Amino acid sequence: MDSDLQAQIAFYLTGQRSASQLETIAGRALHPALFAAYRDLTRLRYDYPLVLVEAHDDGEFVAPLSGLVDAILEKIAKGADGERIRKHVLRLEQEIRAGLAAGAGGSFSELWDAAAKSLIKSDKRQAESLSRARANLKADGRVLDCDAALPYQLFGHAWRITQLQRAHAFSGNIDRLVLKLSDILKADFLNSDAGKSAENLRSSFGSGPMDNFDFAAMSRILTKSAPKASLTASRRQRIEQLLKVLQSQKFFPAGAAGGTPYSFAFDSCGGALEAYCERLPQAIELAKAVAIGELEIKGEYSEAKHEALFASFGANGLDASELVLFPDYLVRINAEAMSGAEQHAMNEILSADLPIKVLVQSDDVIEASSLPNGHLAFALRSKQLASMALGLSSVFVLQSPASSLYQLRGQIQRGLDFAGPALFSIFSGASAAGSLPPYLISAAALESRVFPAYSFDPSAGSDWASRFSLAANPQADLDWPLGKFVYEDEAHQTVAQQLPFTLIDFVACDPRYARHFAMVPRARWSDTLKPVEQVIAGDGRGQLNTVPCLIMVDGENRLQKLIVDEKLIREARRCRAMWNSLQELGGIHNSHAERLLASEKKSWEAIVKAAASSAVPVAATTAAAPAEKAIAAAPAAAEAEPERSPDEAYIESARCSTCNECVQLNGKMFAYDGNKQAYIADVNAGTYAQLVEAAENCQVSIIHPGKPRNAKEPGLEELVKRAEAFL
Amino acid sequence: MKSSATDCLLELYDEQHELEDYQSGVPRWCTGCGDNAILTAVQRLCRDEALRPEKTVFVSGIGCSSRFPHYMKTYGLHTLHGRALPIAEGVKMARPDLTVFVNTGDGDCCSIGAAHWIHAIRYNMNLTVFLHDNQIYGLTKKQASPTSPIGTKSNTTPRGSYLDALNPLSVTLGVANVSFVAQAVDWIPESLFEIVKAAYHHKGFSFVRILQRCPEWLPKSLDPWMHDPDRIQLLHHENALHLSAGLSKVYKNQLEHDPLDMNRAREIASSEHICPVGILYQNKDVPRYEETRHSNVLRTNDLVRKGFEAELDKYTV
Ligand SMILES: Cc1ncc(C[n+]2csc(CCOP(=O)(O)OP(=O)(O)O)c2C)c(N)n1
Ligand code: SF4
Ligand SMILES: [Mg+2]
Repeated sequence: MDSDLQAQIAFYLTGQRSASQLETIAGRALHPALFAAYRDLTRLRYDYPLVLVEAHDDGEFVAPLSGLVDAILEKIAKGADGERIRKHVLRLEQEIRAGLAAGAGGSFSELWDAAAKSLIKSDKRQAESLSRARANLKADGRVLDCDAALPYQLFGHAWRITQLQRAHAFSGNIDRLVLKLSDILKADFLNSDAGKSAENLRSSFGSGPMDNFDFAAMSRILTKSAPKASLTASRRQRIEQLLKVLQSQKFFPAGAAGGTPYSFAFDSCGGALEAYCERLPQAIELAKAVAIGELEIKGEYSEAKHEALFASFGANGLDASELVLFPDYLVRINAEAMSGAEQHAMNEILSADLPIKVLVQSDDVIEASSLPNGHLAFALRSKQLASMALGLSSVFVLQSPASSLYQLRGQIQRGLDFAGPALFSIFSGASAAGSLPPYLISAAALESRVFPAYSFDPSAGSDWASRFSLAANPQADLDWPLGKFVYEDEAHQTVAQQLPFTLIDFVACDPRYARHFAMVPRARWSDTLKPVEQVIAGDGRGQLNTVPCLIMVDGENRLQKLIVDEKLIREARRCRAMWNSLQELGGIHNSHAERLLASEKKSWEAIVKAAASSAVPVAATTAAAPAEKAIAAAPAAAEAEPERSPDEAYIESARCSTCNECVQLNGKMFAYDGNKQAYIADVNAGTYAQLVEAAENCQVSIIHPGKPRNAKEPGLEELVKRAEAFL
Repeated sequence: MKSSATDCLLELYDEQHELEDYQSGVPRWCTGCGDNAILTAVQRLCRDEALRPEKTVFVSGIGCSSRFPHYMKTYGLHTLHGRALPIAEGVKMARPDLTVFVNTGDGDCCSIGAAHWIHAIRYNMNLTVFLHDNQIYGLTKKQASPTSPIGTKSNTTPRGSYLDALNPLSVTLGVANVSFVAQAVDWIPESLFEIVKAAYHHKGFSFVRILQRCPEWLPKSLDPWMHDPDRIQLLHHENALHLSAGLSKVYKNQLEHDPLDMNRAREIASSEHICPVGILYQNKDVPRYEETRHSNVLRTNDLVRKGFEAELDKYTV
C-alpha cells in the first residue's frame, strides 16, 4: 500500500490528518459543487425576498417579490417600449434586493420608493418607466429576506390574516343573532299595550303633519283586534341574557361593550395553555349563547327539552367543531431554547386537540452530542417533536426548511385553518456559522434530506396516502437528489456529471465541522478516491483500498477533492435510513406495497402461463394489465352483431340499457358481459315463457325469444303468438 | 361526519302534529266541491312532513279556491285577485326560511294573474303552487274562464264560449326555467296526495294543476274522466311517482314517463281525450332566484329605513 493511501485510510478511520499528505479545509471557503452557481443570491430571481401581502386579490398571504414585479410587468411592459420598461423595473428589483441584503427594511412600496429615488436621479426615461410601474403596484406588505426572523414574521402574518377572516365571519354571525334576538323583544313590545298606545303609534309614524289622524282610535282598534300573546318572563330573561353575552364577548374585536379583545399570540406553550384554560368558561358561555340564540331565533328553544341539557353544556370542554368559531392561539418558540416544562406544555396542547398552532423554529440543525465521541445530531430535537406530533394522528404537522415556505404556503394555510392543533417545525438556516446565506443553508438541508419537508393533514382523509405528503422534496423517490455539475478539466474539455447532494455536502458547508474533511492535493489524486455516495451505499467498511471522496469548488472556482472521515459516512447512512422511512410513510418504495405487488405479479404470471399452455388464448388487452384480474372471456359486445336466424334466441347486447329486467327474471339464462350489457348465457337454463316475458319486459325491446326448444312446454301456442312481436 | 354536542342540541327540536292541528274553521265551499279534497291532501302533507305552523304560509288571490288559507291553521295571506304569486315571491325573498304555498284559481292565475304566472315560473323560486282549475269563475257565480272548454255556457258566454281553452300545463312548460309541472285530479285522493307531496319536496317553483270539480256551476263537465278510468293516464317513473298496486288495479292506463324529457312532457300535456295524472316535468338543477340573489347583508332597521328613504326620495318634487 502506498503511503498516500495509507494516510488517506488513516484519516478515514481515525480523523487524524497527516499534514504532509493531506491539507486542512479550514478557512478555504469551499462550496458544494452543486452550489457553484448560487454564490451571489442577490443577483438571482427566486422565491425570496417574500412580501407578506396584506390584502391580495387571489387571497394569498404571501408572494415572492419577483412574482409581484412580474405581475406588474405583465400589465405594462408591452408594445414598443415594453423591453425598456422591463429592463428598468428589473433594475429596480435588483436595487431592492441589494438594499435588503444591506439591511434595509420596510414594505414593498417603501422599498420601491427608496430604490426608485436613487435610480431616477440619473435617468428621465427610467423615471417614466418606474412611475408607470408604481401606479400598478397593487399588493403591498412587509418585505422579508430569508433570515432568522422570517419564520416568526411569516407565520405571525399568515395567522393574523386567517384570524381576521374568522373574526369577520364570527362578528357577522353575532350581529345576525343580536339583530334577530332584539327583533323578538321588539316584536313583543309592539304587540304589548304600551306598543299599541296612541303615543307610541304616533312616534312610529315619523315626522310631518299628523293632526288629522286619530292615534287614540287606532290604538283602540289595534288593542282590541290583535291577539294578546306575549313573551313569557323566562324567555324574555333568557333572550336578554343571550344579548348580554353576545355583546360583551372578548374573543373577537367589535364587541361594542366588550372593550379590548383578548390576545391570542404567545411566546410559550405554557402561556398559551394557561390563557386557554382561563378563558374556557367564557368561551363555553359564548358558544352556548350562540347555540341557544340559534334555537331562539328559529323559535325552537323548548324549556322542557333544552334547559337541562344546556345547563351542562361544555362540561367536557368544547369540541373541534365548536372551537372553529373562536380565534386560534399562536405560539412561536425556538427549538433550541425549549425547556422541559415547555415541552410538556406542548405535548399537552397537541394531545388534547386544543386550537393552538405552534411554530417551532430551529436555526441550527447540527447539534454535537454531549457524549464524548457521540453522534452528530441533525435537527434531532425538532424532528422528534414533529414525529411525536405525527404519532398523535390528530395534529396537523408541517416540517419544512425556510427555503420551501413559499412553495408550501397552501399547506401553511391549511394548517392554520385546521380545526385542531397544528405544529409547524421550521428550519431557518440562520445558524450564524459559515458564510452561506440562510436561504442556501436551508435549501441544502432539504436537498441533503437532513431536514426533509413533509406535511400531515388529518382533515385530508382517513389514510396516510391522503394525509401525508413528501411532495416538496426534490426527487423524492431517490435516496439523494441528483444535480448536473459541469466543469472544465485540465485539458479544457467540458465535463458534465450527475452528482448527488448528500448529508456530507451539507456538513461540508459548515466550517465548524471542517475536521471531518481533508483536502487531497491535486498531485495526489488517484483512483483510490471513491465518490462518497458509493461508499454510503455500501454498508460496511468493505475492502480498505479506497476512501470516500467529495468534490467541492473553491473560492477561485477550482474543483477540489476532499476525503471524508468514517464518522460522517455513518451519519449519512443514518440520515438516509430516516429518509427511507419517511419515504415509506409517503408511499415511496413502501415495503408492504412492494411485497404485495411482487406476490400479485407472481400469481398473475402463473395465470398467464397456465392460459398460454391451455387452448384458450388470453386476449391481448387482458394480458397487458397485470394489476387486474383476468376477465372471464364473455362475448365482446363491441363486435359487430352476426347475422341471426329468427329461430335463434338472442339479445342485441350493444343496445342493452342495463335495466336489470331480464337478469332479475332469470339470472342463469341472462347475464351481463364485461360492458354490463346483457346476453343469453344459457338458453336452456329457463323456460320459453321466461324468454317471452323477458322480451316483453325489456325496456328497449332488444330481446328476441326465437323458437321454442322444448316442444312439451305448456301453453306454447299462446307464447309463440306473444313472441311474434319480438322475432 | 363528526357532529358536535351543539349540533345534537340544535336538532333536538321535533314536534308531532295531528291533522286537526292544521285545520282552521269549517270550509264554506259547496258540498262536493273538489276544493275539499285538495284541502285534505294538503293537511295530510303538513302533518306527515311535520311542518311547523308558524313557519308555513299559504298565499292566495281571490276566488272560492283562494279562501284556502283561512282553513289552514298556519300563516296565510288572502290577497288581491291575480296577485298571489308576486306576494308569495316577496314572502320567500324576505323569509327564505318559511315554507310557502300558493293557492290560486283558473281565473286568478290564468286570467287576471297571467302575467305574474309567466314570470313566477321563470323566477323559479321555491314555492309550491296549486292551481285549482274548475274551468270557471266559481265565486262570482259562473263566468267563463280561460280554461273553460270551448262551448261552455256561462253568464258571460250565454251562447257558449268561442275560444279553445288555454292549457295551463302547456303554457307552463313553455316558459324558460320551468322546473316542476304536474297534474292531479281531485277525485283520486291517493295520487293527489302523492303529487302534492312530490311538489312540496321539489326545490323550485312546483306547479300543480289540479282538475277540480265545481258541482255548483259545471256539475257534469269532468264526469267523462271521472267515470272512465281508462281516460286517466297515470304517469310513473323511477325518478317520479311509483304506482301502488291498488291504484294500478283501477287505473290500467299507465305511462312511464321520465320527468326530464321535456319533449315528451309537452306531448303528454297536450293530450285531449286522455287526462294525464302525475309529474310531467321535473328538473332539479334550475337555479332558484332567491338563492341567486341571496345577500348576506343584515336587514337592520337602519338599512331598511335608508332603503325606504332612497325610494321615496325618487318621488320628491
Ligand atoms: C280586481 C278584481 N277583479 C275582479 C274581481 C271579481 N272576482 C272575484 S273572484 C273572480 C274569479 C275567480 O275565479 P277563479 O280564480 O277561477 O276562482 P274560483 O272561484 O273558481 O275558485 C273574480 C273575477 C275581483 N275580486 N277583483
Ligand atoms: S262554487 Fe264551485 S268552486 Fe266554488 S265552492 Fe262551490 S263548488 Fe266549489
Ligand atoms: Mg275557477
